[in-house]
Amino acid sequence: MLSWSMELTSFRFLCFFALLLFLWYFLPVLTGGRGQRMVLLAASLLYYLFAGNGLLILFPLTSALATFWCVRGITKTEKTDTRRRRGFLIFLMVVLLGSLVAFKVMGYFGIRPGGYGAPLGLSFYTFILLGYFLDVYNGIDEGGVDLAGTVLGGMYFPLMTSGPIVRFKDFAGQFSLRHRLQYDALVFGLQRMLWGFFKQLVISQRLGKIVDTVYAAGSGYTGWYIWLGTVCFAFQLYTNFSGCMDIVLGLSEALGLSLPENFRLPFLSRTISEYWRRWHITLGTWMRDMVFYPLLRSRFFMEQGKRLTARFGKKTGKKLNTWGAMFVLWLSVGFWHGGALKYVIGSGLLHWLYIVVGEATQPFFTKLLSERLHLDPKSRFLDALRVIRTFFLVCVGFVFFRADSTGHACLLLFRALPWKTAVPPDGGLFAMGLGWIEWGVLLISLVILIAVELINEKHSDGGGIRNRIAAMPIAIRWLLWFALLFYVVLLGEYGPGYSAAEFIYRGF
Amino acid sequence: MSREEVLERLQPVFRDVFDDDSITVTAETTAADVDGWDSLEHINLINAVEQAFGMKFDMGQILTMKNVGEMADIILSRI
Repeated sequence: MLSWSMELTSFRFLCFFALLLFLWYFLPVLTGGRGQRMVLLAASLLYYLFAGNGLLILFPLTSALATFWCVRGITKTEKTDTRRRRGFLIFLMVVLLGSLVAFKVMGYFGIRPGGYGAPLGLSFYTFILLGYFLDVYNGIDEGGVDLAGTVLGGMYFPLMTSGPIVRFKDFAGQFSLRHRLQYDALVFGLQRMLWGFFKQLVISQRLGKIVDTVYAAGSGYTGWYIWLGTVCFAFQLYTNFSGCMDIVLGLSEALGLSLPENFRLPFLSRTISEYWRRWHITLGTWMRDMVFYPLLRSRFFMEQGKRLTARFGKKTGKKLNTWGAMFVLWLSVGFWHGGALKYVIGSGLLHWLYIVVGEATQPFFTKLLSERLHLDPKSRFLDALRVIRTFFLVCVGFVFFRADSTGHACLLLFRALPWKTAVPPDGGLFAMGLGWIEWGVLLISLVILIAVELINEKHSDGGGIRNRIAAMPIAIRWLLWFALLFYVVLLGEYGPGYSAAEFIYRGF
Repeated sequence: MSREEVLERLQPVFRDVFDDDSITVTAETTAADVDGWDSLEHINLINAVEQAFGMKFDMGQILTMKNVGEMADIILSRI
């Protein structure tokens, strides 16, 4: 199988992007502004072919074609013709979700027909295209994107790595506009890409070494070492995934295209529900709008709700019904991450359990806090405790996510119990894949990351930290960005043959 | 029914769903103004409003309505 590394942090990819940037802005000058999006379409198709997926390109192409045909079908169908509209809906769900489920199941059993794995970006283009159809079906989007636009919307190459899961109504229209070179957008975009490289190459790669050491089969780590490895994994995944988003959003910005944000300081969430509004935001929104709401509006759950209310009273009945629908939702979220049980538990059902237990015990804790302990439930102190609790719960989920299997995860969690003595392995902290200099670089980089992200959040109304930097005198501005550039170039971990960071989320 | 009457009839529904008798509903009320009106409770609110007025919202309307005023306008166009 032809396979070229086209990782977003690879040198080959940067050359590809530089060439695209040039053609994207220069070719339309020759053609009088026509055909600009064709540059992007060609780049997206070439990227797909080069990224080692060869013939599998037929899958996203078929999906885009089917979506185009079904969207055109329902826009030409009278709204009252429910049967015909449902026909298109069912047909497209079978085509799109059929291949998604088939590949996930095959992945679970390790079946690779003809040596091929799942098509690149399968989970992402499927949701983007299906979301487009459902928005048209629900009357939120007017449809009307032509075939080339539909293919490009579904297969826009930066999205094939880890999303975000864009909404066509906010996204596809941008392709038909003429994008002229704007200095500010170009510079901001490149800066953001650099920030993504920093997260990926400097931080995530280093954290990965610690995590690999702790999670290696038979590593023998116990007690707080496992928690250290898990917290490192939480930040490894965050810097890897959100760094990837910085590169994707940054390069799109350089092209003049705007994509939705996917993260907002998720580890500062006070509850699990809040966490899912801040981590992988576009997946959460998609699942809410396309799975959760329709489920609770379905005849089954409406009837079930009435039955439960009659039996358990209004409040409890309603809660039980919502929890039932949430079970299906979290099962879907877990399954989307991978067919394996560890994903279904770690990224799905465990979070469902957290939310259900949290809601069920809330009245008790509210009473305890205000009546017994006389604490203000809205105090900052309690909020800080909530943030720590939520981060801990998320980390338990990450143990499943990172471990080799559900069994391995349970073993690690058992060994991580506080009364399991943490016997330091020979060399202690410095035998976990990083020497003391590397630890130093990692800690300094983490401090930079956290400081920058907090300042950025504080100034989010004014366009974030980059606008603050842009307002500084030119010498300081350049000094800052060049310092970051050299920092990344010198301290980035490029791995063998500059294959660079592997995107953890790419497997989905 | 006038818009004011719709808002008046919405008030007890809101108070019931969010279990808070201090809620005052105006046309400008948004999810940010009501404690507990998150994305999960939104759909329960919709179901309760539908039951109270004997009408149905489209999924598109459910996802795009921005404040109670818009909700009232949709209700008026449906009954």
